[in-house]
Amino acid sequence: MNAATCGGAPPAYAELHCVSNFTFLRGASHPQELVEQAEALGYEALAITDECSVAGVVRAHAAARGRRVRLIVGAEFTLECGLKFTALARDRSGYGGLCRFITLGRRAAGKGHYRLTRTDLAAAQFDRCLLLWLPGPQPQAQELQWLAENFGGRLHVAVELLRDGGDRARLAALQRLGERFTVPLVASGGALMHVRARRQLQDALTAIRLGVPIAQAGRRLHANGERYLRERERLARLYPPPLLAATVGLARQCRFSLDELRYEYPRELVPPGQTPASHLRRLTLEGAQRRWPHGLPQAEHDGIEHELALIAELGYEPYFLTVHDIVAFARGRGILCQGRGSAANSRVCYYLGITAVDPQRGATMLFERFISRERREPPDIDVDFEHERREEVLQYVYGKYGRERAALAATVIAYRPRSALRDLARAFGLEAREGLRLAKAMQWWDGSAMLGERLAQAGFDLRSPALQHLLPLVAVLVAPPGFPRHLSQHVGGFVIAAGLLAELVPIENAAMPERTVVQWDKDDLNELGLLKVDLLALGMLTALRRAFDLVHAYRGIHHTLGMLPAEDAEVYRMISRADTVGVFQIESRAQMAMLPRLQPRCYFDLVIEVAIVRPGPIQGGMVHPYLRRRSGAEQVDYPREEIRAVLQPTLGVPIFQEQVMQIAVVAAGFTPGEADALRRAMGAWKRTGGLEGFRERLLSGMRARNYPQEFAERIYQQMTGFGEYGFPQSHAMSFALLVYDSAWLKHHEPAAFACALLNSQPMGFYAPAQLVRDARAHGVEVRPVDACVSDWDCALEHGADGEPVLRLGLCLVKSLPQASVTRLVAARAARPFASVADLAARAGLTRTDLEALAAAGAFATLCGNRHLAFWEVAGTETALPLLPAQAGNEVIEGRPLIPAPREGEGVVADYASIGLTLGRHPLALLRGRLGASRLMSAAQLLQAGHGAQVRTAGLVLMRQRPQTASGVTFLTLEDESGQVNVIVWQRVGDAQRRALLEARLMEVHGEMQQQDGVTHLIAHRLLDRSQLLGGLLTRSRDFH
Amino acid sequence: MRQLELTVIAEPGVKSGAVPARGAAVPVPAAPSPASAGPAATQSVAVARQLWAGVHLAGISPQVLQSLGVLAQRFSPQVSLVPPDGLVLEVRGSLHLFDGLAGLRRLLTQACLPLHPRPLLAFAPTALAALAVARAGRPLQIVDPARLIGQLAPLPLAVLRWPEETQARLARMGVRTVGAALRLPRAGFARRFGAAQLALLDRLTGRTPDPRQAVRLRERFRRRCELEHEITDHERLLRALTPLWEQLAAFLEAHQCGVMRLECRLLHRHGAATCCAMRFAAPMADVQRLSALLRERLQQQPLVEPVRACELRTATVPHQRDSHPLWQPGEQGGGGTAPCADLVEHLRARFGAGAVYGLVLRDDHRPEAAWQVSEPLLPQGAGIARAPHGLPPQPERITRVPVAAARPLWLLREPRPLAERAGLPCRRGRPLHLAGEPERIETGWWDGRGIARDYYSAMDARGVRLWVFRERAAPHGWFLHGVFG
Repeated sequence: MNAATCGGAPPAYAELHCVSNFTFLRGASHPQELVEQAEALGYEALAITDECSVAGVVRAHAAARGRRVRLIVGAEFTLECGLKFTALARDRSGYGGLCRFITLGRRAAGKGHYRLTRTDLAAAQFDRCLLLWLPGPQPQAQELQWLAENFGGRLHVAVELLRDGGDRARLAALQRLGERFTVPLVASGGALMHVRARRQLQDALTAIRLGVPIAQAGRRLHANGERYLRERERLARLYPPPLLAATVGLARQCRFSLDELRYEYPRELVPPGQTPASHLRRLTLEGAQRRWPHGLPQAEHDGIEHELALIAELGYEPYFLTVHDIVAFARGRGILCQGRGSAANSRVCYYLGITAVDPQRGATMLFERFISRERREPPDIDVDFEHERREEVLQYVYGKYGRERAALAATVIAYRPRSALRDLARAFGLEAREGLRLAKAMQWWDGSAMLGERLAQAGFDLRSPALQHLLPLVAVLVAPPGFPRHLSQHVGGFVIAAGLLAELVPIENAAMPERTVVQWDKDDLNELGLLKVDLLALGMLTALRRAFDLVHAYRGIHHTLGMLPAEDAEVYRMISRADTVGVFQIESRAQMAMLPRLQPRCYFDLVIEVAIVRPGPIQGGMVHPYLRRRSGAEQVDYPREEIRAVLQPTLGVPIFQEQVMQIAVVAAGFTPGEADALRRAMGAWKRTGGLEGFRERLLSGMRARNYPQEFAERIYQQMTGFGEYGFPQSHAMSFALLVYDSAWLKHHEPAAFACALLNSQPMGFYAPAQLVRDARAHGVEVRPVDACVSDWDCALEHGADGEPVLRLGLCLVKSLPQASVTRLVAARAARPFASVADLAARAGLTRTDLEALAAAGAFATLCGNRHLAFWEVAGTETALPLLPAQAGNEVIEGRPLIPAPREGEGVVADYASIGLTLGRHPLALLRGRLGASRLMSAAQLLQAGHGAQVRTAGLVLMRQRPQTASGVTFLTLEDESGQVNVIVWQRVGDAQRRALLEARLMEVHGEMQQQDGVTHLIAHRLLDRSQLLGGLLTRSRDFH
Repeated sequence: MRQLELTVIAEPGVKSGAVPARGAAVPVPAAPSPASAGPAATQSVAVARQLWAGVHLAGISPQVLQSLGVLAQRFSPQVSLVPPDGLVLEVRGSLHLFDGLAGLRRLLTQACLPLHPRPLLAFAPTALAALAVARAGRPLQIVDPARLIGQLAPLPLAVLRWPEETQARLARMGVRTVGAALRLPRAGFARRFGAAQLALLDRLTGRTPDPRQAVRLRERFRRRCELEHEITDHERLLRALTPLWEQLAAFLEAHQCGVMRLECRLLHRHGAATCCAMRFAAPMADVQRLSALLRERLQQQPLVEPVRACELRTATVPHQRDSHPLWQPGEQGGGGTAPCADLVEHLRARFGAGAVYGLVLRDDHRPEAAWQVSEPLLPQGAGIARAPHGLPPQPERITRVPVAAARPLWLLREPRPLAERAGLPCRRGRPLHLAGEPERIETGWWDGRGIARDYYSAMDARGVRLWVFRERAAPHGWFLHGVFG
């Protein structure tokens, strides 16, 4: 057909129209795959032109680094009128215009959509962009005419020949149009996938997008699989050479690279006459003086200078000032906040009040863990705020910098096995019931590797045609890095720019009103070196603030974060007993199992406790050596003095990431920056590998310094074990502060602490039922929900002995809106209620509200028992319209002859409405029957002794299946006498999967195990006894 | 006073002073007691005189229930259906005919068994009570009105079939049995749950009478016309049917219904009757049209023997019929297809239903799957149709996706393999001349009939334009798939 086919090298080509899977449910290949394939095909350049989006370009950019193929940034648009085109950024300013245009379209529509018109396009700043018209199946001359009038010199006609049998006619038609309006033609592929093999996935995605089974998608699917990155030889047979040559010409005009993006943090925080550096120095030293009123020690001074020098060198001052400003705002509003993560390695952060870890309390202050010269990555400051008041902080940021300059980072929501199965099942026309069964076969902890096996177990025929097609597609969707499905908002990562943020990255609407997000996620931002600040929400901070307020109101004593009496031995004794329900971090089962063994006695023990019960140290085999050395059963030895300096706090066992980095520095001669690179490699090696280079470097470094080979190998092994789960000491130290504060409150102010936790739900590990049970076990009197007394929140009342009494709040009542409670409380303040009718009339409650209150037993004072309350409520509702609330005009009714609820009914109703009971534990009511089946109570189990064969039953409180526990499930059962920790090995769990997953009341036969004061029941047999509970609604909290 | 209300509803029998009687003895009519003033005084009159059998037939279909209702009329003139699954009959008057309660129970059960595997029977002084007890699955025979309340009290509330929501509300008040509901104060109960529910309780206990409508037989049309002379030709036969048609028209008009099935039986002197049955897709009430259709059918049917009588029968007629269309044909999209429908009915009457079908487009890239046969007359894009090759039926929404390349009018049922010579397909030994560019179609991988082909337009030696394709997969065979007109 033309010269290129007659031997010789295939013609040069650049693909100018290609969408990735960030055009959700249309593109069928990752940006990385597209780049790699373009390189393999010898393309000169590849434009990623996702639909009204640049969400995938950073990944493509990273993939193109160091390759011959060049990345062009662009986007594809379809206007409201149907006009379709792509815009390609030629330079930085063209990119800015592109981002602004995308922002315009995205902000004009709801989440995930965009809306653009010709008016918008005519006003768009596309001077430095190339435009490619994408004609429809029947090219409309008027579209081209309009575009040519508006964008003359920058416009080209994209000719996409997809072998639909009309290629020649199409080419001819477009040539005529091009000549008529003097717009040059260029070849283009309109690729949706990197290889033809993604065809099936592309069809399935189309069906998912359209919401119909594939079989009904008809001609809305593509007729053939030509929309892939085609070999240049093939293209040469399809296109006239000038059209192919034009692609390269245009690609060369697009010189923009994402590396050009320069990011500046806001400058307005610097007062006039100051520089960011001088201002930061002033603020830091002011903070230091407050902490050291009698003069700053030299070491501290040097440390600060060291940090400030590095910060200045990298130009990060405005970043610190920005975070300082946000934290100062929160403090001013009385919102508790505390920095977490590696920022606690920074003295500057400490003295600015961002973090709370005092360098004097044993922190290593490894600043390079936080900021390093070698790392291209910006520092990352994460600050926790009270979870219920974080929104105030977010809106402050939006308010201060404006929506043009501040937005949240995105999170890419990728397919998980379950969602992939659900969507694909629908695409393959499986009935909703079958799809549900499929998804159900995939419980929350299943990895995709088990998929086939699970489905077979669930009774699916793996050889059925639908599954034969479906399963390979599931595999593609869930394969790392995860096939993106949509963009969501990051939990709290803010991007704040000095100038217009929309020039840097497009901004779009989030699902939540008043939230806007950029199109990049945190990895993308890191990749390009853009700074973000994480404003996170932490429930414990809310609870602590509430507890402080309650104590203040009750006793007039004012406590606050970090200002409680330090190192209280009583508190540590309580912690060592694992009496830690509700305490921050160490309330989890695994932590509770460790506490009696570790016996924390001081703050630093808490730091270790927080860090050691982690997959990293557990897999690295650090736990047992540490415990042995701590108990004196094993000698602590250090090969060298410099190692002793690093490892002494943890008895020679590396537990923190910082220690591994320091060993690399002192023993193998790494620079601090290199050590940080090592840490990062440790974090990622399981996914990406690449630790081998460091191994050689580490071993040879240590050999050169005469360390024994065996020691070097052990250190390396521990590093690999750390994997990505190693905990930075700085982070553990921040958390340990909150551990101590919450434990102190639990010990000294149990009523206030329980009350605060209940009012901050949902948070933490335990449901209100356990929190209330625990408070009562610690001698706190708890009073029931009562419409005549309770407020919305739980509250403290004065008890007879002067100690506070916990009154449950109406917030616990199911289906009762807060607004109704507000009216109720206001009406009650005016005058106590005389009857349910009086209450309903004065508080303006609906029947649903009244029934919710009756169900909660909140009318006990007004009516007596629940049955009578419901009778009253039923009468009240119908009486309302007939009888206006006038005194003396009420219907006088006698008490009906209704039997009082039995105890069991009361318990069931309590659970159904407020999720807990102040009556007897449900199992106490069943004890007779359980005893008859020779089932022991939790208290009896403790007496059973190691190795005893036992049977027990309890409510399932929790199921945990840690990723690291190789298929083991941990269960927590509860009965009236306490809790039992059950370990279910994978074999047992698989054999009795239904009981394991579904039982609310579980019977377990097994063997007791006792060690270091920790008791477990190893399950041999699981039975679902839920039917004994009848209507009792209990709910397990499932974690993984 | 409140206390009084309560006792009235709770113990009517005792209040009325009825003497407990055993067995089938007729209770003494209740005398008003001076202690129970007000409406309660009258209640037991109705109760004492009646005895109801309640039959609970779980899961029964409406048709079978109807038949059983008809059947039960043999035991009592007063039979009522309580849809969906209940039947009550007043049996006091007929007890003596069936050897008392035990005999009646046995016979009634026997009558039900052929149509329902597990009828539950109970007897009580009120219809509702009998049914409630039967629903509870208790084979009680409460003949003594004084014991009615006591026997009903332990029954779960569900037997009253109150709305779920009402039952749930009562349950939350601890009211789960009939007895507990009866113990509630009347006024308070009515305020909370409505007068209707209270009235139901009153009918249940016999406090108020419970008039019921007796079962009516379902209707069908069956008329015979004895002919004065034996008839041997169709025309006279059809004329002879005229009076039957008139009667049918009157019947349908009176019952406001149409027929779904019509059978014409021709009776002969010797042989079995000739039977000519017609079924319709929708109820037909237009006798003109019915007779025209029958004419078509009869003309297909040779008369083997002279006819001496003829008969028209319908199946049981459904009680609704097509309303007249609001729009006349041609107006506002109204009834435009009617004449066409007539044509189809006629064609089908003559050639059989399978011989007449329509064609619709299917939304599919595959040429062989892009069309299907359908019910005739379905407008384009609305067909739920029998798909070719067992493809699942699909509701059509044809989007007009233009096809770039031409498609032939005639498509072979199956693509026919072509020989290949020198890389070109051959037909009748001569290579075809390929014209134009290939159209690539590769799709359908999901249903096991996936294709991957390059289609070409080709000219054979005689100048016939053919539609051929080459398989994309090895061995890359050539096939003929269609012929351009």
